[in-house]
This record gives sequence, C-alpha cells and structure tokens, in this order.
Amino acid sequence: MSELYFKRPMPHGGKLVERVITDKKVAKKFLESCKRTKCPVYDIKPTLHYKRGVPVRNVYREIMSVCYGFFSPVEGSMTSAELESVLSKRRLLSGWVFPYPILFDISKEDYKALGVSEGDRLIIRLKGKPFAILDIEEIYEIDPEELANRTFGSPETNPEVVREKFDDKHPGWVIYRSHNPIILAGKYTIINEPIFKPPFDRFWLPPRKCREVMEQKGWRTAIAHQTRNVPHVGHEFLMKNAAYTGDVEPCHGILVNAIIGVKRRGDYPDEAILEAHEAVHKAGYIKPERHMVTFTLWDMRYGNPLESLLHGIIRQNMGCTHHMFGRDHAAVGEYYDKFATQILWLKGIPSYGFDKPVNEVEGGLLIRPQNMREFWYCPVCKEMAYSENCNHTKEKEKLSGSLIRGLVAEGVQPPVVIMRPEVFKVVVKWWKKFGYPFVNEKYVQWKEEELEVDLPDLD
Amino acid sequence: MEYILEVFLDDYRLSKIKGSPVESNIEAVFGGELKVLRVKVGEEVKNEILKAFETARIDSRACITDTPVAFKRALFEEIAKQKSLGEEVVKAVLARIDEIKELAAKESEYLPPPDIETE
Repeated sequence: MSELYFKRPMPHGGKLVERVITDKKVAKKFLESCKRTKCPVYDIKPTLHYKRGVPVRNVYREIMSVCYGFFSPVEGSMTSAELESVLSKRRLLSGWVFPYPILFDISKEDYKALGVSEGDRLIIRLKGKPFAILDIEEIYEIDPEELANRTFGSPETNPEVVREKFDDKHPGWVIYRSHNPIILAGKYTIINEPIFKPPFDRFWLPPRKCREVMEQKGWRTAIAHQTRNVPHVGHEFLMKNAAYTGDVEPCHGILVNAIIGVKRRGDYPDEAILEAHEAVHKAGYIKPERHMVTFTLWDMRYGNPLESLLHGIIRQNMGCTHHMFGRDHAAVGEYYDKFATQILWLKGIPSYGFDKPVNEVEGGLLIRPQNMREFWYCPVCKEMAYSENCNHTKEKEKLSGSLIRGLVAEGVQPPVVIMRPEVFKVVVKWWKKFGYPFVNEKYVQWKEEELEVDLPDLD
Repeated sequence: MEYILEVFLDDYRLSKIKGSPVESNIEAVFGGELKVLRVKVGEEVKNEILKAFETARIDSRACITDTPVAFKRALFEEIAKQKSLGEEVVKAVLARIDEIKELAAKESEYLPPPDIETE
C-alpha cells in the first residue's frame, strides 16, 4: 500500500532558502561590523503608482518571502542575466522554473546619494530600523515599461492565453511599470526579524515551520487553497471538494494561504481575509484539524497562469502535495483566457517557456494541480453544485463577487447559502475598524504606514 | 422596455415592510434564502438614473446595477414609506438626488457598518 502514498515534495530547487539571522547577539555583532566599515544605509520606500502616486508595492514583502524561503530557490534581487532568463524562459539561471522578476529597485537620485558600487554591502532599514542587508553583486538599469510588458507578455507574443494588451488598469503591470530604474542585485539577509502585529501573528507560518506542523498533524497529503478574498460558500465547497483528491484517501489537510499585500480597490482588507477563513474552521464548517490558515507577503501581480506558477512554488515550499486551481485564477479583467492557469498546468504554454505541463518540464514543480471548474447554487438540487455534475444550467444561481459585495455594501447580511454568518461577522468587525468593508485609498495609505510588522530595536 | 431595480431584503428590512401590500411581491432566490423586491421603471427614469450616477449600468437581465449604496438605501426607505413598488418610489428617490449624491461621494471613504454584534 505504501507505494501508493504520495510523499511530501522537496522544496523547489532542492532545499529551502533561509536567510534570516535569528540570534540577536550575532545580528548585533553583524550590524556593528557593518557600521565600522561604514556600510551605506537605505530606508525602504513604497513603490508608488507611476501616474497616481499611491502605494502599489513595498519591497519589504519580497525580502521577507525570499529570506524565509517562500520563493526558494530565489535568494535575493536578480542579476541582469537572471532577469533576462526569467523574462525569456521563466527559468532562473539554475534552470528552476520561476515566473516573475524579483528586484531591489531604487531611483537614480537615491543611487547617486548612496554612492554604492558592486561588492558593497547595503544596510536596508524598515520603519527607521535595521531590517536586512543586501550584498550587491551587480548594479544595472532597467526600462520599467519594457520590464512590465515583458513580464506579462501580449496577445501577439502569448496568443495561447493573453487576450488583451496589458495596461495601467492591470495592477501587476502597474507594479512593474512603477519600478525605479536602478536595480541593486544580490542576496538578501534579514538581520532583524520583524514582529507581526495581530491578527497576522496568528497566521505566520514560514515554509520550514509549516512543514514541521504538517508532520505534527500527520498530514501526508495537503492541498493548497489560494485566496485574496473572504470565503463565500462557493469557496468553501471548492476547498472541501478539491480536497477529495489525495492518494489512497482524501487529502489530510487544506492549507489556506492568503496573499497579503497591496490589493485592488474593492478587495477585502487583509485582516478580514485571514480571520474570515479562520471563521470557517472555528465555526466547524471544516474541521480545524483539517484546515489551516496561513499567509504569504506579496503584492499580487494578478498574472493568472504566471501567478499560478508562483503559487505552486510557494505552496510546494510550504509542503503541500496538491494545489487547487479554479476558473480565472488570480486574475483581473479580461486580459487572460478564463482557464489560462489550467491550460498551463494541463498542456503547457509554449510562448511562456512551457511546451509541456509545469510538472513535466525540467526544473518544473512537483506539487500536483487539482483543476476545478465552478460551483453554483442549484435550486433544483437544493445544494451547492459542481458545474460538471449539475445539469440544471437554466436554473443555476451563481455566487458572483459583485452580488455579494453589493449585499455587503448595503449592510444586508448575505444568506447562509451564500456567506456563513460567522464569516460575515468578521467582515463587519473589520468594517467597523476601517469604516469601510473593502480596500479603498484610505486603507491602502494606512496599510503602507503601518505595514503588517514592527521592528524591534537592534542598535 | 422595462428595467429592474433589485432591492435585497434582510430580517431588518423584512420587518419594515411586514403587513404592507409590498410583502406579497417579495421574491425568493437561492433556495428561498435571499429575498428580493423588484421595482420596474421605464426608459425615462432609467435614463435619469444612468445620468445621475456614472457607475450605474444595465446588465444582461435588464437590471440597473452598480448604483451607489446611498441610492439603494434611499430606494428601500421610500418603498417602506410609500408601501409601493411603483415608479413613484424611484421618482421620490430622484427628488432627493442632491442629498444622495453627497452621500455617494463620501461612500469611497466611509460606509456605515450594520449594527450587528461582532464579538
């Protein structure tokens, strides 16, 4: 029988990247030595929208995700050769699949003021306190518009799945378009571990720790659920039903991994997303033994198939055996085919560098995709039904995000078949705090000032 | 052609129209779990709504959607007050257009949360 069991996949790239100095004494000595040698210091600034000036990204989130191993095997800001390899082949120089540029970008003015050169060590501060160091291997210049266009592709270069030209209505394209032109490439090391604020502290589970917890829980198999939303009942049914896959029995665990960072207007606040998913198991809709809520710091790029690659990498690194993918995965607008992610994982997308499915290419992923269609409410079946089972297509009642947002905005409690009352209570709890149920400009500004973390004194 | 404005009802709203003639017009969706009132309007009123709110649009069911929350709240208030689903309730709402537009402008900053226990 055991030969039928699935094994927990190795981290992407073979081993987990861990670039965090956890011993305070060592960290202090490290910092003192940097100061003695007069290392330059840079205070992290948010990436601002290239037109509107509002925050669209904070590179601290990428430094955290790299150093705690979520993005293994990436170890830092990419060199020009690595960037070219990612943009042209979606592969790191080592050959491992990776979808997106990960860059430490600064303005020309800051570059001039810093006076750094290749071989220097840069102290990176966050909220005025030492946070990380960057050992600069290379300094080069980019054209942000070209970076944005090449990152996502176009209907001409990627005709299999790209339907519309990316523009400033696409938040991911805007993030790359808003990058500063000077790239400092090299490995990051966190020298001062940030402390997560509530409620984030309860859900912080970096890959090594996550793997340990899965072992403790006896989860041989675990399926990942990507989220940037509070769960409605359709999401709950997706989780429950997708988890019926597994090896000789359904998956032992469902790992909810929320993407925490700057989001679109109209999304729910991060705090509500995490606690709303927690409410699903606290209220018993899924047993807590079988359902765990975690997060990854990342300002979402909404790159549908590309984002699904990153999601696969993150969750493989966290120890999941499976990943559920639905319709319009991590998408916004009509830029991609609705099933672009499923095409990538089932057939491959040659123009993105995948002539075969992601699991079959060299340097590819080991996590297994579980591609799902959609769930709707069927008044004939009187249940939440899977679109490939239920044939009452005329009677179906879809749970659309706009329907639910419309109800929530009006303060009308969605019925239990649409949103669980415990989930709605969480939405209202954070609504009362922020004065608004969804992400708006005010929340984005507040979030940028506060971030998810504080930093202890290290000096 | 007729256009529809949907007004969703929770327990609070249901209590406000209980016993009124409007109650018999309540429709149920999602297996009876979600109650809705449908107000029908003609071309002229539809055009007035679209003109008043730039976010408003007509969907494939001929429903007028994406109107500001202040508009939808005012619409329910008028239904409850006039105990009617006739076009006159929409006209009464449009008569308060300045007040609603002022509230709608503030909507991107603040929306009043429902008064429910959250702890």
